[in-house]
Amino acid sequence: MIQLLSIVSTVCLTVIAVSTLFLLYRAIKGPSNPDRAVALDTIGVNLMAITGILAIKLKTTFFNDVILLIGILAFIGTVALAKFLEKGVIIERSRD
Amino acid sequence: MKNVTNDLILKTATTIIVFLILGFSVYLFFAGHNAPGGGFIGGLMTSGAFVLLYIAYGFQTMNRVVKIDFKTFIPIGLTIAVLSGVGSFLYGQPFLSHTDGYFHLPIIGKAHLATAMIFDLGVYFTVIGVTMTIILSIAKDEGEQVENAE
Amino acid sequence: MSNLAILPILLPLLTGIMLVFINKQKTLVKVITGIMVFVNLAVVSWIGSVVFQEGPLVLEAGDWPAPFGIVIVADQLAMVLVITTNLIAVASAFYAFRSLDEQRERYYFYALFQLLIAGVSGAFLTGDLFNLFVFFEVLLMASYGLIVLGGTKEQLRESLKYILINLFSSILFVTTVAFLYSVVGTVNMAQLAERVADVEQQGILTTIAILLFLVFATKGALFPLYFWLPRSYSAPPTVISALFGALLTKVGVYSILRVFSLIFIYKLEFTHQFFIYMAGFTILFGVIGALSTNNVKLIVAYNIIPAVGFMMAGIGVFSATALAGTIYYLVHDMIIKAALFFLVGTMAAISGTYDLRKMGGLIKHHPLLGWMFFIAALALAGLPPFSGFIGKFLLLKGAVEEDHYGIVAVGLIGSLLILLSIIKIFLNGFWGEARLAPEQEKASENGRLFPVALLLIFTIALGLGAEFFYPGIQGIADSLVDPSIYIDAVIKE
Repeated sequence: MIQLLSIVSTVCLTVIAVSTLFLLYRAIKGPSNPDRAVALDTIGVNLMAITGILAIKLKTTFFNDVILLIGILAFIGTVALAKFLEKGVIIERSRD
Repeated sequence: MKNVTNDLILKTATTIIVFLILGFSVYLFFAGHNAPGGGFIGGLMTSGAFVLLYIAYGFQTMNRVVKIDFKTFIPIGLTIAVLSGVGSFLYGQPFLSHTDGYFHLPIIGKAHLATAMIFDLGVYFTVIGVTMTIILSIAKDEGEQVENAE
Repeated sequence: MSNLAILPILLPLLTGIMLVFINKQKTLVKVITGIMVFVNLAVVSWIGSVVFQEGPLVLEAGDWPAPFGIVIVADQLAMVLVITTNLIAVASAFYAFRSLDEQRERYYFYALFQLLIAGVSGAFLTGDLFNLFVFFEVLLMASYGLIVLGGTKEQLRESLKYILINLFSSILFVTTVAFLYSVVGTVNMAQLAERVADVEQQGILTTIAILLFLVFATKGALFPLYFWLPRSYSAPPTVISALFGALLTKVGVYSILRVFSLIFIYKLEFTHQFFIYMAGFTILFGVIGALSTNNVKLIVAYNIIPAVGFMMAGIGVFSATALAGTIYYLVHDMIIKAALFFLVGTMAAISGTYDLRKMGGLIKHHPLLGWMFFIAALALAGLPPFSGFIGKFLLLKGAVEEDHYGIVAVGLIGSLLILLSIIKIFLNGFWGEARLAPEQEKASENGRLFPVALLLIFTIALGLGAEFFYPGIQGIADSLVDPSIYIDAVIKE
């Protein structure tokens, strides 16, 4: 059982790492800016996944805070990017 | 402004999420020195929450609600941090000496408090001050003249 | 345990923070700055006298014992430099009151100034290689703030170069400290010295030493890493140039002096021989730069470089006499560079230009300024009876004793050319046909000469009172040659 967990987590780690590489390609090449935004957001999700799997592999709970932290930062980043793409400005002077 | 939209989803979500982030930042701050966390990352999270508010509501609204100049956070934080080190002079201990103990507090119960937390509080304020000052002055820099150029 | 050792860092730091709070009240800021620089000077002089009577003060921050915690070591060398730093701080503060425009004062000049002093003092006092990096960053942060203050086009262009070069060397510094830690497992300087001695600096340690040297050489502006210095130091207003020229490069030289007299001293024939070559090239190229320009401020800025070369020569020779010369020259150079920058700034303020070809005949209407400049020029070139002479004499004597005749020749030629470059200002600027407009003739120095006078009194005292100062300096040099004194002071078994 333990061995199965180890194999599965290794396979997951590899797959996520490869997918992050593809996302990196998309983030650099990305024909349009929304492509890049989505790619960056997904890289954030992948980072959370990698941290989670690492926490399983290393048998520690200390990484839980890190996952939450990356999640929040990725969220704020994506919101800011989306706002920039939509309105051309991140923090508006006034609401109108 | 090309697209005038109301951002209803963003604003509604922000009002809830900001409090989650602030709560998490306080948790991170108190988790410091024994577990991952502390003043620096707590301060970053708090300023993250503020940035989210600014993104959702814009300068005008935020300046009406939050009447704080984030620049003053920097010297306040530095003062707290330095004075927490100087405090050990009063007890004839070397600079930055730290002490801790277990206390019974109302509501929370038994708590582990350390003087290192005072230093961390200074770091917390300084980080908020620096981060917000940097982000807001970059965001303000939009070709037009900065109002109240101090 | 002694909290005294932290005071030279703590007082300017607290003052700086306080000044940020009261930034709006301009008079109050000036009054507090004026009082605090004197308080600082008094406190560090007192600590210095304690150190000279009772030996080094060691503060183990947070009560962690020495090799594990962070130590602040106030030994004689550090205290001499800290006292000099605070002396320059006094002069700079009063020069700033007289010369700085209101806009720069409003943007936290005095707070940044105090933080710079805190950083420089910290770099002198720390006994921990990683903390040296931290204090380097503190003083660099303050200097980044100071160099862009005012935001003129030239300042912005030069500050970009300045920040890039310093960021690069900081990255290299922290990487090198990591290398060193992975090899010997400590960053405490005393323990580093012990452990490097155990293995007699074999293998990769010499490589790390050279990397560290490169870092400090970038900060201290040695050949060939000085290219960024003259223009970025002459871009900001005079008082900031003076602070940079007097303090920042000297921190780099001090670091080399400390690290290569305490830790890496087992491959002298390689490392220190290399320093002598570097010193020779630094002297020659710096002087050539100084001769090549007609901008008075740039001439003084270029003159920083050969001075660093002289100090490096003393470290390279590495005998007690030569090290005493280096320390004497270090103190002398900090004072005289500040004084020269102030004098040149005053000249430019009166005549309205930095270009030597447009000046002339200043001495007719401003005799005091002229003769002060003359004294400063002679002291810079190292003529007796001023302080530069004693330093250079000791350096060259040490070099001759150790049979390094090449560097002696270079040093003498260099001194002559330095005299030529600086007397050029005197001949063209003060003598010659007067070119001042009538209102410039009557322009007053506006009280700018008082701080200069203070500094000049000290150079003369250092020269004439050599009998009084020399034994102390020689004592420091003797203790530098024998690292066990420092190690025993820090690590008490």
